[in-house]
Amino acid sequence: MSTKTTSYKWYQRKQKIIPYLFLAPNLAIFITYIIVPAVMGAYYSLTSFDGLHDPKFIGLKNYVELFTDDPRFIDALLNTFKYVGVTVPLTFVAALGLAYIVVSIFRGKSFFRASYYWPVMISTIVVGVMWQWILGDTFGLVNVFRNAIGLEKMQTLTNPTFAWWTTVFVMVWSRAGYYMVMFMGGLLSIPRSLYEAADIDGANRFQQFFRITLPVIKPTCILVLILSTMQIFKVYPMVVTLTGGGPYNATRYIVQHIYETAFEYYEVGYASAMSVVMLIVVTIFSAINFAVTKGGER
Amino acid sequence: MKKRQGSKVLYVFAIFFALVCLVPVVYIILNAFKPSSELYSATPTFLPRQWTLSNFTEALQKGRFGTYIFNTLFVATVSTIIMVTINTMSGYALAKFKFRGSSIILIIILSTIMLPLEVIMVPVFSVLKATGLYNSLWALIIPSAATPTGIFIMRQYLLTVPNELMESARIDGAGELRIFAQIIVPNAKPAIATLGIFSFMWRWNDYVWPLIAISDPDKYTLQLAISNFSGEYAVDWNSMIAMAAISMVPMLIIFLIFQRQFVQGIQTAGLKG
Repeated sequence: MSTKTTSYKWYQRKQKIIPYLFLAPNLAIFITYIIVPAVMGAYYSLTSFDGLHDPKFIGLKNYVELFTDDPRFIDALLNTFKYVGVTVPLTFVAALGLAYIVVSIFRGKSFFRASYYWPVMISTIVVGVMWQWILGDTFGLVNVFRNAIGLEKMQTLTNPTFAWWTTVFVMVWSRAGYYMVMFMGGLLSIPRSLYEAADIDGANRFQQFFRITLPVIKPTCILVLILSTMQIFKVYPMVVTLTGGGPYNATRYIVQHIYETAFEYYEVGYASAMSVVMLIVVTIFSAINFAVTKGGER
Repeated sequence: MKKRQGSKVLYVFAIFFALVCLVPVVYIILNAFKPSSELYSATPTFLPRQWTLSNFTEALQKGRFGTYIFNTLFVATVSTIIMVTINTMSGYALAKFKFRGSSIILIIILSTIMLPLEVIMVPVFSVLKATGLYNSLWALIIPSAATPTGIFIMRQYLLTVPNELMESARIDGAGELRIFAQIIVPNAKPAIATLGIFSFMWRWNDYVWPLIAISDPDKYTLQLAISNFSGEYAVDWNSMIAMAAISMVPMLIIFLIFQRQFVQGIQTAGLKG
């Protein structure tokens, strides 16, 4: 009898350890490669550190310098704000429009859905290479067409304005299909009877869109806004192969600035302070999105 | 009558946007088969006038792209296997066991979704050096195997597996590992497939991790190699375009085969594409 109870106790104790064992490999990686770096980064941001010698604690000096004495950082940050401010709404509209098309048409649904999603499967590095080839100054199609109709050659990716808008367009091109799929989930969940009732009441397409469609898919809208803001805020790989941040820093955004500060100028402490600022900004963006839309409540 | 007009307009838009998405990709892939004389021509054609494989052979021989393709395949495959295994284990623990700290662990895991790698890339570099993974392909495999989204979808899926299956196995005296391997894994197949496909694509297309973790050209992945070549003063477009084509074609094929998993994965868990 007594052996039975001890073995039962032992079994119970074993059962308690088991979930931790199943979690262990994942948690070990998490702690080593996410939590520890996050804490280290926060500490680095308070130090003067070149990546080689020991970090020297200097308090908030990095942060003060960032905002009072570093026009390059401020430029990169403001440029990123401008980029997010333009690209997020365009991506939103494009994704919703594509989802609307795919949901509404009768023939070829899966063909069109697949076509619109295709660009999402391509790595951002290759997306940059592609569009550099297509829109570049020398071999790009823009000048091929201008040449064909007898116009003079124009500057494309070496023109700051053209290059900036190209980074906007290419981002929308490569991401819209992804958010389209999210919107499709929302649009398909709207009961048809709502539209039928609205038809009977004589509501037109626009009224139906703003009074029925948008309110019902509001949670999806918020998710898309938050995810796309985060995604677009950290634009970098695409820019590496598309414009390299140029011309004249026109397409230089914050992640590139952080990367170069840390890995090319070895100002690791200073770059860490930039990372912390970026994290705070991204979090505030998400919080504002969430607050403005009242967290998806209708 | 009015409705039909409307849907015609819709089709015009649908076809226009399909062309915007497809034509550039197809154009680049076709360009990979053009000889230099056509590639740099002032009057390029959509289809190659003369088809050639020389861009590919040159990239593989001179550019050592064979090594980069092998590295990328190795990383994507091994990382996917490890990731699916440990994420399923964690999802199982979080879905099917009651234990102290489970909800805190879940919250911490989920909150790291909001912490992009770009924010911690500077200290991650130090950690990679300290743990001896720097400049090794394992630096691309191990850290990225523990994704919060992966744990989340496995947990959500396993919540739907009935507890009775495990309980009756326990009464029959099956060990915990056996229960996991013979009951949980077979029941989680659809979620495992979805996660596996996404993981393979993430690793194949990955750029920021390799950028931080690898400096030895022998360990370059495709994306890292392509980006480095594009930064050179005189870009060798023949090899670049051939490699761009080689990099994207496998993903496009995977997508055509597994379309359904992609759509479900995004709609249920917001998996980033």
